[in-house]
Amino acid sequence: MLNGIGDYAGRVPGSRATASSGSPAGGCVIPGTGQLPDGALCGPDVLSGSDALPVLPALRELLPGGLPRGSVVATGSWSLLCLVLAASASVAGGWCAIAGVPDLGVAAAADAGLDPGRLLLIADPGEGWPQVAASLLDGCELVLLRPPARPSAQVRRRLEAVARRHGSVLVVVGDWDGAQCRLTIARREWTGIEAGHGRLRARLAQVVADGRGAAGRSRARWLWLPGPDGAVAVAAAGAGGPVAGGLDAGWDGETGEAIPAWRGMSAG
Amino acid sequence: MSSARGTPQRVRGTPQRVRGTPQRVRGTPQRVLAVWCPDWPPDAPDTGPEARAFEQVITAVEEFCPRVEVVRPGMCAIDARGPARYFGGEEALAGKITDAVAALGIACQAGIADGLFAAQLAARVPAGAGGAEARCGGSGDRPRQKVIDPRIHHLTGRAVAWAGAPGVIVAPGRTPGFLAPYPVSVLDIPGFVDLLPRLGIWTLGDFARLPAAEAANRFGAPGERAHRLARGLDPRPLTPRQPSADLSVQIEFDPPAGQSEPVVFAAKALAGRMHAGLAARGLACVRVQVQATYEDGQDLTRLWRHDGLLSALAVAERVRWQLDSWRAGQDARGGGPGTGDRAEASLVGGITRLRMIPDQLVRDEGHQLGLWGDAVISDRVARAAIRVQAMLGHEAVLRPVLAGGRDPAEQVTLAPFGDSRAPLLPGGRPWPGRIPAPAPATVYPVPRPALVTDDSGTAVGVTGRAVVSAPPVLLSADGGPWLAVTAWAGPWPVTERWWDAAGGRRRARFQLVTEDGNGWLAAVQDGQWLIEASYD
Repeated sequence: MLNGIGDYAGRVPGSRATASSGSPAGGCVIPGTGQLPDGALCGPDVLSGSDALPVLPALRELLPGGLPRGSVVATGSWSLLCLVLAASASVAGGWCAIAGVPDLGVAAAADAGLDPGRLLLIADPGEGWPQVAASLLDGCELVLLRPPARPSAQVRRRLEAVARRHGSVLVVVGDWDGAQCRLTIARREWTGIEAGHGRLRARLAQVVADGRGAAGRSRARWLWLPGPDGAVAVAAAGAGGPVAGGLDAGWDGETGEAIPAWRGMSAG
Repeated sequence: MSSARGTPQRVRGTPQRVRGTPQRVRGTPQRVLAVWCPDWPPDAPDTGPEARAFEQVITAVEEFCPRVEVVRPGMCAIDARGPARYFGGEEALAGKITDAVAALGIACQAGIADGLFAAQLAARVPAGAGGAEARCGGSGDRPRQKVIDPRIHHLTGRAVAWAGAPGVIVAPGRTPGFLAPYPVSVLDIPGFVDLLPRLGIWTLGDFARLPAAEAANRFGAPGERAHRLARGLDPRPLTPRQPSADLSVQIEFDPPAGQSEPVVFAAKALAGRMHAGLAARGLACVRVQVQATYEDGQDLTRLWRHDGLLSALAVAERVRWQLDSWRAGQDARGGGPGTGDRAEASLVGGITRLRMIPDQLVRDEGHQLGLWGDAVISDRVARAAIRVQAMLGHEAVLRPVLAGGRDPAEQVTLAPFGDSRAPLLPGGRPWPGRIPAPAPATVYPVPRPALVTDDSGTAVGVTGRAVVSAPPVLLSADGGPWLAVTAWAGPWPVTERWWDAAGGRRRARFQLVTEDGNGWLAAVQDGQWLIEASYD
């Protein structure tokens, strides 16, 4: 229907992220259809039931169960991480709506794995944004919402109920009391750019996931967010010892994660 | 009822106009007058306020003929036969109409030919390239194609300034000759017009000389359509049988709808019903007539070009255009300054009935969906999107199409849900100087002003030879707090469209990283720092 969408048949969600993470069990998607060909290819943990949206391979360790349908996920502030979460809808071949983000970089979203052919944009949901969000939750698998105002408890409960009823996922830019899961970027560092030369090539970000209940334990992982080609990948824990540059110590005391040696990466 | 003077084919397709129509000789060509306003480019979006500004032209043309067909913003057409008799000839009619539109301060040309396709081309013949001379020829015997050489027009047409000459008038029966020198690219059938030159067929005349059966045999439905156009006929033969059922649809509003929004919302469902009724009989309509009846019995009727291509949403958007323009006209005519706001909010009187009449029925040839890449929209998604559109307006729900271009903002074309739109700039090309990957997550539709200073507090500048005056140290985006710059790169000069005084620009791009870990895409243009995007 739309010209140009055909170009993205080869740039299907998940496939590039898979290539850069080097994992053979990546989320393979049939080009053009967005359908998952076989549950076994996509990892047993995320497709154990249809009660969760599978996430991009890079987020598997942070969200082992995927995004439970009917849940609310909060992200601290607007960042590429929100788009990576929204790409979960495309992994499952579903539709995604983004409301309240007039300055969205669609190219970045596409590179992160979000299918632009299955994307609705509502730049300004206006005063009646709770109704708009409720309508979108009815139609789309995932709704990324930046509320124009701080939502009242009543609005929050109503939208949570709508999401539960329709089995869709609400990803909120900002804070949301009662969110089942919360992902934030704790630290971030750009590579490839120096004082006066180079260019922005990739960013290393430490993403922390907190949650309630089963997802209660706090997890942190280092991700390429974005990687050199715009895709998101897990930053392999390097054996390079202490890391130079703006990063702190070589080991993260809280989580026991090795900080990767980003110096050794071939940029570009 | 002047509209009853159509050709026999048209009469067959429109049962409500059969009554009282005199018998005419079969094949009498239809005389069409097309009005072309060059201020609306052909690739402009066909909805939105700019498109609706074309309404004043339609109103001016309506003074001459009540049945104006809107082809697209910038082009409308009327059946010239009746008005030409009344106003003293086709030449006088064309002159009067262009004068009336020019009185509004809008550049305009008019052309008359047999059939809409030729009339559109006749209207676009530039002044000074033989057009005026041809007009002086009047109804003489001289073959017009010798006076007008459209091949020259086609090459020089864009460079010739509009000088008030009303296009050309092609004498009855001379349309095939008028069309013959035009290149086949004027047919505007994607994929097909690229093929013909490779087969050695350069002009419409060459193509028209092929046997019609062979053209249909070799090129299929688009070939048949193109061949009929090249011969100066209607693109598709009108369906020869009279439809047994009334295919018009209508909805009553009780109480009358005072706001336009519920009418537009109902129009979507109504258009869907009309399309379903047509599809069940394998038909499509060339035009759709939308008739809104007000409380005081007044009818507001307009014809819209359809060609079987408009979605239900697109038809509804035209209904919105029709209602809005009528209201704007009411404000301009009757309302004083005090009535402006109230009239904006509610229609005068309210609408009691909305009716859609499919006009000029043709065989539906269908549209082939692409095998790969077309995202199929499920009913569930469409329902949600339409509900949001009912709340916020048609343009509020957008679908992105990735396009080409250098700026991050240029690389996306947005189309309202329900409309299809090609990318404004073609993708899949190198676009030297485009921003390299990774793409920024935040792209400001309008770049935000910024301040960048060096360590002494003076603003950082870039010379004409792309040398930066001092390393940037502090950045303040859009009046925000000052942030220390930890890394930077640039300047990368970009000079775009230097040959174009209005559209050309020079920029020097930078990438900056500030102390909070944020990456910025900035540019210096005319000494002013702008933030184009942010790598959040």
